[in-house]
Amino acid sequence: MLLKVVQYILNLGPTVILPLTITIMGVCFKLGFKKSFKSGITIGVGFVGINLVIGLLTSNLGAATSEMVTRYGLHLSILDVGWPAAAAISWASPIAAIMIPIAMLVNVILLFLKFTNVVDIDIWNYWHFTAAGATVLVLTHGNWGLAILAAVLYEIAVLKIADWTAPMVEEFYGLEGVSLPTGSTAACGLIGIPVAKVIGMIPGIKNLKADPESIQKRFGVFGEPMMMGLVLGVLIGFLAGYDIGKCIQLGIIMAGVMFLMPRMVKILMEGLIPISEGVREFLQKTNFGKDRKLTIGLDAAVAVGHPAVIATALVLVPITLFLAVILPGNKVLPFGDLTTICFYVAFIVGSTKGNIIHSVLSGTVVMSLALLMATNIASFHTEIAKMAQFTMPKGATMISSLDLGGNFLNWIIIKIFQVFTG
Amino acid sequence: MNKQKVILVACGTGIATSTVVCKKVEDLIKANNINARVIQCKISEVPGYEDDADLLVTTTIASRAYKIPVVKAINYLTNINTQKVDQAIIDALKE
Repeated sequence: MLLKVVQYILNLGPTVILPLTITIMGVCFKLGFKKSFKSGITIGVGFVGINLVIGLLTSNLGAATSEMVTRYGLHLSILDVGWPAAAAISWASPIAAIMIPIAMLVNVILLFLKFTNVVDIDIWNYWHFTAAGATVLVLTHGNWGLAILAAVLYEIAVLKIADWTAPMVEEFYGLEGVSLPTGSTAACGLIGIPVAKVIGMIPGIKNLKADPESIQKRFGVFGEPMMMGLVLGVLIGFLAGYDIGKCIQLGIIMAGVMFLMPRMVKILMEGLIPISEGVREFLQKTNFGKDRKLTIGLDAAVAVGHPAVIATALVLVPITLFLAVILPGNKVLPFGDLTTICFYVAFIVGSTKGNIIHSVLSGTVVMSLALLMATNIASFHTEIAKMAQFTMPKGATMISSLDLGGNFLNWIIIKIFQVFTG
Repeated sequence: MNKQKVILVACGTGIATSTVVCKKVEDLIKANNINARVIQCKISEVPGYEDDADLLVTTTIASRAYKIPVVKAINYLTNINTQKVDQAIIDALKE
């Protein structure tokens, strides 16, 4: 009987499950029923909004890209839906709700074991851990134990990278006592930092420098998501052989997607704030022993405003689009995550002490790998989106994202679990 | 009644950390009866709003020099010494 009830609720999908679990969790964190209930419903509303925008994106862009493929043989058939969609998909995974207390507990245990010094109060970015778990859940056809194990491994890796980069974060970004355990930033740093180090030793390139101000002025348009959506939409419409009117229509719709998607995710985020404050208070009250320098783990967003990061990310937008076309084996059409590149390069720029040229070169390597990995695991990405009951276009169109699909940590975890599960 | 002030709240994404700060700033202006409205955006979008705004509150590092005063709000995220940021915002708006 109980099993039937649980099964019935699970079948109602994430728009019902997550509000329910968040409400329960809120009550557990002593937020009161009213506040918890409101949080829960807000999150449900966020999902409704994101689903609308993803539908808009995949139905319009999906049709245009398949035209583009047949006309020019440009095999960019996998849509990059961007991190807002990837985060929503992860939060919608069945394991998402229990991952909040588990990730918190793992953090506490690691702190007591002195394995890490990061007090990760950035609950929002727990979605990166969940994402790894969600993909393994699909890979293992529903093995919860392995899925949670994958998420925990991912968390440990991110915390260690945050520990490792904390001195740089303090020195270069001037963020004292802060570390940045953000999944995408950490994963790209893991590859990008050593690459940047090698690039910095090459004679001829070693001493090249660029000025962030002039780059920001020249590439400024790539910093405005709305305009970028418009331009890309018109361009893809043109490549799809649409007439002028239809190109402009597609351009406006894509501008709308770029503009609206973050706003929808914001609703999700708002719903999560009370819970995240509960966790923060719990973590900050816990005494992990004196005589050690703990860092507070925040969203890497606090660092990406740095002029050198913005400049590097802006230059990498056209480079990434170009890479997508010329890179053999790539099938991902970069779109949603073109505005997220600043996160991928945050650690790289810090490690080069703000050298934009070295960072761009290292970023080019990272983005190439990201495109190939995003292509490689697109089927899993599409599968978890389907599990989250997001509107998927009919036919062969697959989705991926540079943030989740093109994430080295996520990719390597999938590969490891693939070996074990055959 | 004096003119309504415009506060920009900016972070790296325009979503994650700025949503937290947005709520704090909105509560703050309500509690202090300040006539102001809040616009939330990405740090790279600030140039588009800068001319009409009176104050920039940001959780991230300012990308360049701005025409308007800037208040750093990272303390709202770390939850340490938040009163200092509250006061800085109120002072900036009273000028």
